[in-house]
Amino acid sequence: MAPLNDLPNEGGPATPARRRRRRGQSQRRRSRVRVAAPAAPVVDATVVDATPHPAGLVPLSEIAPAIAAISMSRRRFLGFGLAVLGGLGGAFGLSRLFPVFEEPESAVRPIVPAYDPARKAWTFVVDTTACIGCGLCVVACKEENNVPEEDLFARTWVERHAVTTGGARYVDSPEGGIAGFPPESTAPGAAGKTVAQAYFEPRLCMQCEESPCTSVCPVGATYRTEDGIILVDARRCIGCGFCVVACPYGARYLTPAGEHVPNDTPGVADKCTWCYHRISRGSQPACVEVCPVGARKFGDAADPASEIATLVRERNPQPLHPEYGTRPRVLYLGPSVQEA
Amino acid sequence: MIGIGPSLTLAGHVIPLRPRAALAAAAHEAVTMPRGLQLWIAFLLVLIGLAVPAALFALPPGWEVVGTTPTVEWGLLIVGYVFFAITTSGLCLASSLGTVFGIERFRPLEKRHAILALLCLTTAFGIIALDLHYPVRMVLGAVLVPSPTSPMWWMGVFYGAYLCVLVVEVWSMFTNHPTIHQAACTTAACLAIAAPATLGAVFGVLVSRPFWHGPFTPILMVCSAFLSGTALLGIVFYVVARLRLTGAERAVSLAIPAIRTLLAIGLVLVSVLITRQLIAGLIDDRPAFVDATRALLVGPLALQFWVVRVGLGLAVPLLLVALPATRTPAGTLLAALLAIVGVFVDRFTFVLAGQIGPTTVSGVVSAPWAEYTPTLVEIGIIAGAVAFVALGYTLAERYLDLREARAHVFVPIPDLLRSRVRRLLGALQADGDVR
Repeated sequence: MAPLNDLPNEGGPATPARRRRRRGQSQRRRSRVRVAAPAAPVVDATVVDATPHPAGLVPLSEIAPAIAAISMSRRRFLGFGLAVLGGLGGAFGLSRLFPVFEEPESAVRPIVPAYDPARKAWTFVVDTTACIGCGLCVVACKEENNVPEEDLFARTWVERHAVTTGGARYVDSPEGGIAGFPPESTAPGAAGKTVAQAYFEPRLCMQCEESPCTSVCPVGATYRTEDGIILVDARRCIGCGFCVVACPYGARYLTPAGEHVPNDTPGVADKCTWCYHRISRGSQPACVEVCPVGARKFGDAADPASEIATLVRERNPQPLHPEYGTRPRVLYLGPSVQEA
Repeated sequence: MIGIGPSLTLAGHVIPLRPRAALAAAAHEAVTMPRGLQLWIAFLLVLIGLAVPAALFALPPGWEVVGTTPTVEWGLLIVGYVFFAITTSGLCLASSLGTVFGIERFRPLEKRHAILALLCLTTAFGIIALDLHYPVRMVLGAVLVPSPTSPMWWMGVFYGAYLCVLVVEVWSMFTNHPTIHQAACTTAACLAIAAPATLGAVFGVLVSRPFWHGPFTPILMVCSAFLSGTALLGIVFYVVARLRLTGAERAVSLAIPAIRTLLAIGLVLVSVLITRQLIAGLIDDRPAFVDATRALLVGPLALQFWVVRVGLGLAVPLLLVALPATRTPAGTLLAALLAIVGVFVDRFTFVLAGQIGPTTVSGVVSAPWAEYTPTLVEIGIIAGAVAFVALGYTLAERYLDLREARAHVFVPIPDLLRSRVRRLLGALQADGDVR
């Protein structure tokens, strides 16, 4: 480091103003060392002349550099002010570019004026004794919600749970069940084994009342609407994946880049919304509407005369994996409840 | 020195600000430095050079350049972040024995602790910024839309505060502000427990992942932090002693024996906690916990777990620090190297074991195990991160004054408070007398 060390500390000849500044610095440094550690020896011993001029006897020639120093500090002050202003301007620009602070009003407030979210108790019931595994619901969901076409991403999917004659249990879901199921299970190790019994289990977001995804989100991008639907604000999500690993039902994924992406935003969390844009207009979710056998039932349980309220009252559907304690609002009928 | 133009004076070195002068000075410096150092810095620069395109690939949101899937959403980058973040805390935990509690034998080379901690935390933040798809939103959102139910938000708060405190600690260390330095060290030591514990809570709150879930995860994280921080110091102190750098005498007489003791404590603590985790996993009735334990013991992570984690990462270092024949600086170096690799692999197996059990996520059924293979982008970023820490430390070792100043003499906090209160009372009394 010799060549750099050889250079003078302030990059120029020692002027009276520089000398004064250095002196002031060393005096300040020395006083701090003394206050905190009285026994410590003074490290900086470069001060040669510590005798100040008596007050009122300072010649004008020595004041001039001091005045210059004051004007320098004013310049610095102005520079600092400009830097702060620049920073604020930059922050404003950033907030325009990434509007993370806007409330997701359009999503929280009802799209239809007559819609009153506070009076809704949306409930979803899946009848696994009725599902035939045709995959139409998966197709409808991908079309309706612009879900990526790749196998890795699905808002809803269908699983086949097969039990062989030997008692082994296999689960498969080729491409999420979008094209139906072949006769044999595609699960590893299931080839050639005789299936004694099987059932299809449609899966989707459970819209849990005690949802881990909303409580773990570090920026509040995942939130619950007044009518109990959990949505993701794509403008606020940071793509950390915490909600994806927190969901016990595997209902979430991070959107990939590409044209076919929900909300046209890559790299953010996405999940089933029970087609919130449809149900708040009085329609059924797309998957419910296309199901040919009525295995998916959806409605407002707050209305005691509704089909869903009657179904819940009379057939007592149960959630999957209640042990997680998240109180899911998708309820199941049939063998999946016993297995879970 | 005419012709240098505007310059910046940093730690006694004048750095020209004009590009041409700066380049000339840097070139002169590069040519005149020892050959070994030239090769070492060139090697690190090559690694960083490889990491730069990898980082650029990882920047745009949603590009599938990393090996993660919805099933294994947290991969090597999260492992790297956890590793560097807990190492930061470990460095402060190890140094706090000297700087906060005033135990002389644990206060050997304090400046190195702080510089390494600052470098490791900066690196951790860099890695997490590349892993997040929208890091700017994270910073703005965490400040302006706080989400106190989320342990990740608290982790951001603690590690953000930690970064500020470390900057103050390093600054006060090099500018002789012992009072501020003492306060910064004490705050850093508190954060060194709070931050990794919260990082453990990020995993520990997840009911959906029984392997991670539970109160022992934050404890394991703090103990792993202590082990990795101590191991990194072991490596650094050996280098200081071997190359006869500033403070080599202290390194040989005080630092290396102290680190050996701390390393032994860390290894025993982590061994006990890992044993507890395995036993809990074997007797638990939750299938996901049993599956994760099976993945470690006999599944796809068994090789990493038994050979690197248990064998090379715990058993061999324990023997090296315990046997009289290997209680040498070289033995301590080997133990530290193995222990730090063990901690990295431990974090890898920990993050992976929680995710690769049979499950269905986003329509993908994973059986018998979910698959995850790190891509070259992820490996490049992690290699570059290690190289960045090494390069930063090398430059600090060469260009900063790492002599332990007298101003860093330990001032016990009670004494400090007492003197402050006395001075305040004196001032009040004087004020009353004047009135």
